[in-house]
Amino acid sequence: MTDAIARTNERNQLFKDLFSGKTPKRVPISNPATQDFAIQYAGLDLAECQWDLTKLEPVYDKFCQDFYTDTYPGGSIRIPSHYQILGSTPIVMSSSGFMQHPDVVGMLAEEYDEFIASPYDCIVETILPRLYTEFNGPPGKVAMALAKAMKAQADDLASLGAIRAKMNAKYGFAAMVGALTEAPFDFMSDFLRSFKGISGDVRRYPDKVAAACEAVLPLMIKKGTLPNPSMLGYTFVPLHMAPYLREKDFAALYWPTFKKMVETLAGMGQSVQLFVEQDWMRYIDYLYELPENTIMRFEYGDPKLIKEKLGKKHIISGLYPVTLLQTGTKQQCVDKAKELLDILAPGGRYWWQADKSIIHLDINGPVVENLRAVLDYVHENGTY
Amino acid sequence: MDTKYYTTWEEYLAEHSELEGKPEQAIAPKIVKYEDAMFTFIMDLLL
Repeated sequence: MTDAIARTNERNQLFKDLFSGKTPKRVPISNPATQDFAIQYAGLDLAECQWDLTKLEPVYDKFCQDFYTDTYPGGSIRIPSHYQILGSTPIVMSSSGFMQHPDVVGMLAEEYDEFIASPYDCIVETILPRLYTEFNGPPGKVAMALAKAMKAQADDLASLGAIRAKMNAKYGFAAMVGALTEAPFDFMSDFLRSFKGISGDVRRYPDKVAAACEAVLPLMIKKGTLPNPSMLGYTFVPLHMAPYLREKDFAALYWPTFKKMVETLAGMGQSVQLFVEQDWMRYIDYLYELPENTIMRFEYGDPKLIKEKLGKKHIISGLYPVTLLQTGTKQQCVDKAKELLDILAPGGRYWWQADKSIIHLDINGPVVENLRAVLDYVHENGTY
Repeated sequence: MDTKYYTTWEEYLAEHSELEGKPEQAIAPKIVKYEDAMFTFIMDLLL
């Protein structure tokens, strides 16, 4: 057995234990820096590398070599080619090469009934043509644009997959697989009604918002279902709108379909990882109700309260403030990692991740050195 | 899903009588795979 295979086996066991509620040998670690960070760290042009993925293999090799992590770092769901081919307005590349999501309205308020009657038909016939210019025009032209875009994305994913396989074979990361979906209410908000639009709808048409969330729930479950659900697979669910709602609206409009979705996915024998964005402390008792061993990566919140209320049932992650890597000294960064380890690690059910991903790198700043020190500290001191 | 843009294997088979007697165990996974791939692609455009 090669060293890399042995490392993969060891790391797989860490996550199998973690996801099943057993205390692993040590605290598993995921590097929070992204593919964008890795490209900047390698000193290459961000836009060019995302268009020409052949440039990424040495980028990932250096990234994997220089920063400790138990899971494959980086990755990207926002590869530019298929967005460009489809004339995307919700996902666009900025002049500096970052993929950005401007606030858009894909569905008008008067289209709720059409959406509720058949969400997928409404998406294909009404929403996509509004958000992607190439979904408009003669049917043959639309079909060709769609075919080109799917082929481009498939080629890009194959390129990234080949690099990932090489890095896994060399560095022995845990063999994790993932899917992506959203809470129904967040799906209605992000690309369809927009932050402003859904905020008004909650007051003007709460019944329609509730019906739309129910109608789209089967699509969100299907989107989040792994082809072969397993203990090392999880569905990633970034949570967006709840902190901006009144609790009575959260309870009536957000929670019911979100809870059903998580319960259904967990019932298939796969893990669910929630990225609990912003501050959910006033909903902490709701989170407790989710299926045992739901993974919750928190952005903000009180670590002690989270551990006390959720730590015996769920798997806690996040909370490490990445801004400290930019503003703090190496000692302050390590001290923060120690503080969180002391609070969150006892008894297991703790996965070291940061409170958010690191996208931008000031190459002359302290982030590289501080990040490396924190990852090494947790690796060396996270043993149970 | 109640939609005209996603077809289950049973619906597909009912619409394609030319497949009668053909190796369903080999054909079905392939047809379903691309149906699901299109669904995932479409939904990813809104995530």
